[in-house]
This record gives sequence, structure tokens and C-alpha cells, in this order.
Amino acid sequence: MLRKYRFEILAIVAILVFSALFLRMEGAEFAGTDTEGSARAAEISGIPGEEFRPLIAQWVPPGGEVESALFALQAAIGGICVGWVFGYWKGLKEKERETGGRKG
Amino acid sequence: MEGFLPLQWAVFWWLVALPCLAVGVYQLNRVLSADREALPLLGVTGGFIFILSSLKLPSVTGSSSHPTGTGLSAIAFGPWITAVIGAIVLLFQALFLAHGGLSTLGANIVSMGVAGPLVGWGAYRVLRETRVSMFFTVFLACALTDLFTYIVTSLQLALAFPAEVGGFPSSFIVFLGIFAITQVPLAILEAVILVLVFRYIVQLRPGILIRLKIFPEEKILAVAGEG
Repeated sequence: MLRKYRFEILAIVAILVFSALFLRMEGAEFAGTDTEGSARAAEISGIPGEEFRPLIAQWVPPGGEVESALFALQAAIGGICVGWVFGYWKGLKEKERETGGRKG
Repeated sequence: MEGFLPLQWAVFWWLVALPCLAVGVYQLNRVLSADREALPLLGVTGGFIFILSSLKLPSVTGSSSHPTGTGLSAIAFGPWITAVIGAIVLLFQALFLAHGGLSTLGANIVSMGVAGPLVGWGAYRVLRETRVSMFFTVFLACALTDLFTYIVTSLQLALAFPAEVGGFPSSFIVFLGIFAITQVPLAILEAVILVLVFRYIVQLRPGILIRLKIFPEEKILAVAGEG
């Protein structure tokens, strides 16, 4: 049992430990590293951050809510791919078991 | 970090990225026409790039970053095909999320699509035939892929923005402190999850892993029978 599910257990432990790291971190803002990196780049180059402009005009999502919706969409696209394939493989495996056929 | 790469560097990284993408598209065509079962495997490994790179996770440094999800694809298909899938994800983020931007897309394709996966793939190639466990190999390759992506990002920024005092090396250390340190716990977490995914693939469809010679047959069959 323990051996059979060792990777599931390991994944859960890893997620819990990872989450526990933040229990005691009060006051941290968790801003994106890219925001921080940009600030440093501005500091080093001596050009104020707001003067950096994309070389190719950039569409910016109107507000954080829309941005997180689009991120969720990206994850959903990936989730559909993954779920579809695992379902397809599972179906193939069942079929092979029924017909006693070759192992894929 | 859209708009933060000076023109000459944006162009330079595009010039590095384009041949990698060309090789990737060529290899992708070849792999997919040789074996139809490669497409579902590409769907799973590519799907996880979409999922994991959409997550913004906090880290011990008090800032947040993305996992890359590119490790499994690097193992299964190598860095060049991974660059193609990575480029699709990065294009999505550049177009709709103001993440990365179009001019810096070349630099991002090189760090996330090529350089990170190349290092992870290298580690996997070295360990593949050794007695090191298949799952530990996957873990290490995925963690290194993630971590090196951000080491290369730091390198790219340090090259574009060398410090006035200390030049490129001191900038490199500053950017490493921002990007690479934050990434360490994320890289480990991502790798643990991708190991689990890899195990499901081995259990459900060991045949494709054997045909694509991803690991030696004995190693795969030893684990596939575990149920």
C-alpha cells in the first residue's frame, strides 16, 4: 500500500511542506520576480522603470481579474489535453484487456 | 518583463531562438509521422507546460514566480521540440497576458524552451542508462530544467544590464538572487509532481516509452507491472 502510492504520498507531502513555508511569512507581498527584476534593471541602467516601453505594442488585459481569468484559461487548455489523453490511454488499455490483445 | 530588453539583445535572442524552432518543427513532423502514438504523449507533456506555467506560486524569498513544466517534454522529445511547445505557451502569454511581450519572446523561448530543457535533457541522457532509478532521473531532469530556465533569464538580463561597478558578473549575481533563489522550491515541487505524472504514463502506456526509447525496456517494464 505504502509502496504502491509512494509518489502520490510524496507529492502531497511536498505540497504541504511547500505551503507550510509561508505560514510564518507575514508582510511579504509575493510580487512577481519579473516586477522585481524590472526594478533592478531600471536601477542598474539608470533609466526610470516607467520609461521602458515594449518594442512591439503590447495589449494589456484590462485589470487583474481579466488577467487571472486568462491564466485560468491557459491552465484549462492544458488540463483538457492531459485529461483527454489519459482517458484515451485508459480506454485503450481496457480494450486490450478485453480482447487479450497486445500490450501497447 | 515586457519592454525590458534593449533592441540589439531582443534581436540577438530571436536569432538564437529561430534555428532552434526550425529544428524543433522538423523533428516534430518526423516523430509524429513515424509513430501515431507519439501525439498523445505530446499532448500530456505539452499539456503540463500549459498548466504549470500558468501558475504563479509564492516562494521563500517573498516574491512569486512560475514553474515551467517543460521537464517531461524535454525527456520525452528533447529540447528542440520542447522549444516549439514552449513558444506556443509563451506566445499565448505575450499576446493575452502582457507576460513576456513580443520583442522579448525570442529571449524567453531561448531560456524556457531551449536552455532549461537542454540542461535537463542532458542530465537525463547521462543518467538514462545508469543504475540510477528512472524516477530519480525524471525528478532531477525536471528540477534542473526549471532552475536553469531562470538562471538563463538572469544571464540574459545581466548581459543586457551590466552593472556600472563590477559589470556583467555583479549584475548576474543580483539577478540570480531575484530569479534563481526564488525558483529553488518551485523547481523541487514541480519535479515531484512531474514524477507522479511520469509514473501514470509508465503504468498506462509503457509501450510508447519503449518504442521512443525514452528509457531502457527493462527499467520501464520493471515499473509498469507494479499495478
